[in-house]
Amino acid sequence: MEKEMIYHTLFILLLIVLSVMLLICLIRAVKGPRVADRLMAVNMMGTMVMVMISILALLLQEGYLVDICLIYAMISFLSVVVISKVYIGIYEEQHHNQEAAEGGNADERV
Amino acid sequence: MLMNAFEWIRLIVGCLFILTGMVIFFTELFGVFHFEYVLNRMHAAAMGDTLGISACLIGLMIFSGLNFTTLKMFLIIVFLWFASPVSSHVLSRLEAATNDNLSAHCEIYEDLEVLERELAAAKEDKNTEMKEASAS
Repeated sequence: MEKEMIYHTLFILLLIVLSVMLLICLIRAVKGPRVADRLMAVNMMGTMVMVMISILALLLQEGYLVDICLIYAMISFLSVVVISKVYIGIYEEQHHNQEAAEGGNADERV
Repeated sequence: MLMNAFEWIRLIVGCLFILTGMVIFFTELFGVFHFEYVLNRMHAAAMGDTLGISACLIGLMIFSGLNFTTLKMFLIIVFLWFASPVSSHVLSRLEAATNDNLSAHCEIYEDLEVLERELAAAKEDKNTEMKEASAS
């Protein structure tokens, strides 16, 4: 069948291009100097994986893969929000401890 | 079996949408490696989250035709329209809260009224320039 061959080739090509882009995103996530860089790269990887899952759903003719894609979107959003909040909390706690320690030293000197 | 004209049009329109999506993803990657600081990179990265995945999924919706798969893909697009700005906002708050020397990368106004006065002054200058240009 000519039509199925065309779609099959197109989807495989798209999957290859998307995987190369995913690897480049991973480089950014490893290199990123700050925490926000890494989280942003992970968010971008999530977006590309969503497109890959949708392509696979059409390539394999399995409609339920799109449900998995929807749940993947929700979990990726949730993970970014939760990790950001947790990191802000940890940072403020460390900052508070440092200030308390410095304040304590200053008191001892007096 | 040869395809009829409708099938060809569907293939070409879908391919155009997916190509647009791929170009936007590529731009996103280029921007992420080109800019120097996280808050600049975020501008490039947030584009692919909404526009790139929308274009790709609209192309795939055209391929898939009218069925429940299309509806679910539309749901994904709608969900990302709401979720992506929120996650970008949370990420930039994380950066602003944890960076100790943020003023090395961008201007910070401790008092917002200073910024408002500067903006108002710039607007008045622009208005007077436009009036002079139209008068001459």
